[in-house]
Amino acid sequence: MNLPPRFKQVFVLSTAMLSFISFWKAASIVLCDFGSSAYYAGGIAMKAFGPAFPWFIMAVMLFAGVMLMVYVESCSMFVRGGVYMVVREAMGKVMAKGTVSALMFDYVITGPISAITAGLYISYLLANLLPLVDINWQVSPNTFAMIFGALVTAYFWLENIKGVEESGENNVKIVGFVALIAGVLLVWSAYTIYLRGFTLPPFELNFTPAALGWAREMAWLHPVGVIGLFMAFGHSILALSGLETLAQVYREIEDPKLPNLKKTALTVFIFSILFTGVLTFLAALIIPGDLVATKYADNLLSGLALELEGPYWARLALQSIVVISGGLILIGAINTSFVGANGMLNRVAEDGILHDWFRHLHKKYGTTCRIINLVAITQISIILISRGNIFLLGEAYAFGVIWSLIFNTLALIVLRFKDTETEREWMFPLNLKINRVHVPIGLMLVFTVLLTTGVMNLLTKRIATASGLAFSAVFFLIFQLSERMNEKKIRLFQQDEEAEEKLNLRQEADINTVIPELGKSRRVLVPVRNPNNLVHLKSVLEHTSADDTDIVVLLAKISKSMEFGREQNVVMAEDKELLRSVVLLAEKYGKTVKPMLVFSNDPFYSIAQVAQAAGVSEIVMGVSGSTGAEVQLEKLAMAWGMLQKPGSSLTVTAKVVWEGRQMSYKLS
Amino acid sequence: MIRRSEEVALSTILQSDYVFFFKGRPAREEVVKSLASGLYPQVKKNIAAKALYEAVAEVEKLNNVLETGFFIPHAKLVEIDRFHAALAVIPEGFDDPKSGATVKAALLLLTPNKPLFFQQHLNMLSKLSRMFQPAFIESIAAMKDGRAVCEAVKKAE
Repeated sequence: MNLPPRFKQVFVLSTAMLSFISFWKAASIVLCDFGSSAYYAGGIAMKAFGPAFPWFIMAVMLFAGVMLMVYVESCSMFVRGGVYMVVREAMGKVMAKGTVSALMFDYVITGPISAITAGLYISYLLANLLPLVDINWQVSPNTFAMIFGALVTAYFWLENIKGVEESGENNVKIVGFVALIAGVLLVWSAYTIYLRGFTLPPFELNFTPAALGWAREMAWLHPVGVIGLFMAFGHSILALSGLETLAQVYREIEDPKLPNLKKTALTVFIFSILFTGVLTFLAALIIPGDLVATKYADNLLSGLALELEGPYWARLALQSIVVISGGLILIGAINTSFVGANGMLNRVAEDGILHDWFRHLHKKYGTTCRIINLVAITQISIILISRGNIFLLGEAYAFGVIWSLIFNTLALIVLRFKDTETEREWMFPLNLKINRVHVPIGLMLVFTVLLTTGVMNLLTKRIATASGLAFSAVFFLIFQLSERMNEKKIRLFQQDEEAEEKLNLRQEADINTVIPELGKSRRVLVPVRNPNNLVHLKSVLEHTSADDTDIVVLLAKISKSMEFGREQNVVMAEDKELLRSVVLLAEKYGKTVKPMLVFSNDPFYSIAQVAQAAGVSEIVMGVSGSTGAEVQLEKLAMAWGMLQKPGSSLTVTAKVVWEGRQMSYKLS
Repeated sequence: MIRRSEEVALSTILQSDYVFFFKGRPAREEVVKSLASGLYPQVKKNIAAKALYEAVAEVEKLNNVLETGFFIPHAKLVEIDRFHAALAVIPEGFDDPKSGATVKAALLLLTPNKPLFFQQHLNMLSKLSRMFQPAFIESIAAMKDGRAVCEAVKKAE
């Protein structure tokens, strides 16, 4: 007599099959956004306060190291959610919404500033190349950059509607290529300096009237001394744009999570010092001062290539390669701005502060097309309004960067006092332990620098202040109204109709259709029941190598309906909550898990059945408060034996794990 | 720590005198109580009858009826030093409402409540569940005496 199947419906959670990435890939994703500022930050800073710009770009890059450490602390506390989650936990939803509104402004400007910079670099290259083939190139670089920027943005608009995501592999290739070109530039620059000698850039601050903004009208606010330093630092802080990508990419970093995050941060730091910092400095050393301010102001690295020592054809070839590498990284940054803005808005939507209207899915491609449309239309409008003027965009930029960094750092300071229970995996240095509080002296110093810079930017960067505040206010209003409408909706409808889609639960007819998806040599089965009792899963994630082991997480849900012959079961909110907790924990450890949910009349039968079908070598259970570990093992042993086919000699190690202890036995 | 896997043969602990045949369709509690009474002579030197019944009654609360129609009430007792077993054969069976199965065979297993025996205990439970499949249960339900049942168990092992 064949026994009937113990369960009929199998749900597999697809989102948890997220593949985790190496620190190098993570660093390349961050650098495709953060590193792109090397192509425009120097020129914009020079235009604002004169020839001292390389000192300040270098200072900002060194400060990036400090901010990367701030991000390491915040990421180690919150695996996903980025600055929104940190600020919300520390200071509540209102502040979090304000921070995201400001950051959205920068995501929206990143696209246009990158697109126009790429257009300018290409335009200047064409101006050098086309005369060689007797083409009289008379198009204004700004006009070309504007048209190019609008077209490229439109291209990525369509690509993102289709749902083409960022490819980690492509990012690695781009950053690798850019690093190679940077290496060539560094060596060739060193050779040029060796031949010509050099003079360090003057440390003089010559602010243009526009760069002083409202400070011009404040008699007490002179751009000299420390105030002048902060003003210039504020005009250079746009080079920090893209750091938030580190927080967004952290959830995808592979195990060991924190050490890999530190390696990512260190890689980003070294690259930005050498690429953005040193190359900007070398450009100032090699390019004659009058050309930096005029001919090469908006294509500084092309200028560096052209002003090196060597034959013209070689320098022109180098400029071409610099433009190709710049084009790749800048165009990558345009895509990142779409993906980043879309991702961030989707994440805040999960928290109920963005109305579902924005999350409407495209009929054919299933992407959140309204958010993408909103970002694209705003970006193209900005490109057209700027008329390809990079300095105008530079003036508007960095509002979101600086204020999101300010709130992120402040939130971490607040959390040190507010949440003394959570053990930090890593803390920003310079702490004073008083009772249970690690008083964050270091973070407070960073916060002081950021706040001073932010306030100085408010006063000096008029366009950024006015447009940033207006844009953030609009977004803040959208968040506020959405939240109210969503609260009203929640009162009317108990269940969230779209929650199932968000979890990407896929239904399979049979467990055997899922087994081929497990491709590793070893398999571990981790049954789960309670989101507050995942100690055993944590233990598996800590001690199992994801390289050779598939971790199958099983929620065997007791189905009353099966006892009465009905087969349809509903995945309830508490099941989704449990699966979300599983995914969050897996993300925290950077290991892929395969969560599945089965409806069963006896969970131990389901565990044994899945274990035997999948050929697992280990079953790791959490302890049950109602029955205890021994009874769990007895029930599993009986189910295991009952399901064994005649002549079968399957064995498995069954473990029950709880805080500080475990029981481990063989079942045969 | 993984303990050494040790097998205990059911045929070494189940004696023909301890195979009990039930007529009609007895209640589940009645079967368990009868098995405990029947097995008591084996353990009377170690444990009082009341203590044994209480321990077995505690086990009764847990539903150990398998879908195959095999029932394994089992108790771990600190007072004993070896396994003891008694088997109930119920040709007409009784219905277990929770599992929906008709139980035609039930085995009361007493295990020493000592850490070293737990691995053997799990092995025994697994083995019993594997051995007492519907066809085997039907075959012993058709038998008339304990010796034949013990022979069938030995053969099945």
